[in-house]
Amino acid sequence: MTDEPQNDHASPIESLVRAAAPASFDAGFGDRVLARLHAGRERAFANALNRQFRLVVPLAAAAALLLAAFNWWGARGTSASSFDAALNLPEVTLSSAYSVPSLYGVTVPTETP
Amino acid sequence: MSDHDMADETSDVELIARARAGDDRAFGALVERHQGAVAATVIGMLGRGDDADDVGQETFIRFHRALDRFRGESSLKTYLVHIAMNLSLNALKRRRRSLLRFVSSDEHDVDLPEPRVGPDGDVDANELHVVVQHAVARLGEKHRAVVVLRLFQDCSTRETAQILGVPEGTVLSRLSRAMKDLEAQLEPYVRSGAALPESIR
Repeated sequence: MTDEPQNDHASPIESLVRAAAPASFDAGFGDRVLARLHAGRERAFANALNRQFRLVVPLAAAAALLLAAFNWWGARGTSASSFDAALNLPEVTLSSAYSVPSLYGVTVPTETP
Repeated sequence: MSDHDMADETSDVELIARARAGDDRAFGALVERHQGAVAATVIGMLGRGDDADDVGQETFIRFHRALDRFRGESSLKTYLVHIAMNLSLNALKRRRRSLLRFVSSDEHDVDLPEPRVGPDGDVDANELHVVVQHAVARLGEKHRAVVVLRLFQDCSTRETAQILGVPEGTVLSRLSRAMKDLEAQLEPYVRSGAALPESIR
């Protein structure tokens, strides 16, 4: 690493210190680094999901409000409550509840010739 | 091929290119290859322990995040040592703030441990290294940083100055002061040169 010539006549203290440089970490250091790297990636993935979620939630809420307003506007001439109108719920009465066609949207002949 | 084999055979540039492409084994090989340099910096600054291990890991995580920006203008080792030194200095600041130094095993006020002398009168090299590391740990952090970079890492005065963001003259004066401190601490071991391992005598 050094670009300076090594001192061949280094003092005994200097030689002593150079020789005492710690050579390595405890065993398994490389595995610990890779494990931490993988844990960091998982954390980064979770954070990215979190960011996406925070981005999508306001958009979804805005779309839902827009749709509710559209439904409400379309049902303003009817007798439906604002809540039913916003959710575009069909009018439910006792007779319509018992009426098969109104339940399934098919026409069933009620009279026989 | 194991990470270790890969670390032996492939150049840093190639391993970095593969790591950029998402090859974790290539990144593991880089960790394997350069953990010694990071360990010398981090353990030299913080002492051995969980703190040092954590900062060592963080050094490589930061490097991984910066893979796309690494242009290779300096060697990878210098780059990693730079990150490791900055993180170590930050960790020391945190330690100071949380007053951890008063309750941790900082040995500033403790005598250097006595290395065991074998039957032949020689000091065990590993024990002596521990004594020297303790002596380095007792230096002030600015002086310790210079010793770690110049002597543990073999950085040039210029590289040391760049990493620490100080003038070269400051590096030289801090090194000189640090060597005097170390001499005072380690003199007993050097004076009785017969007790030193062959490699250092």
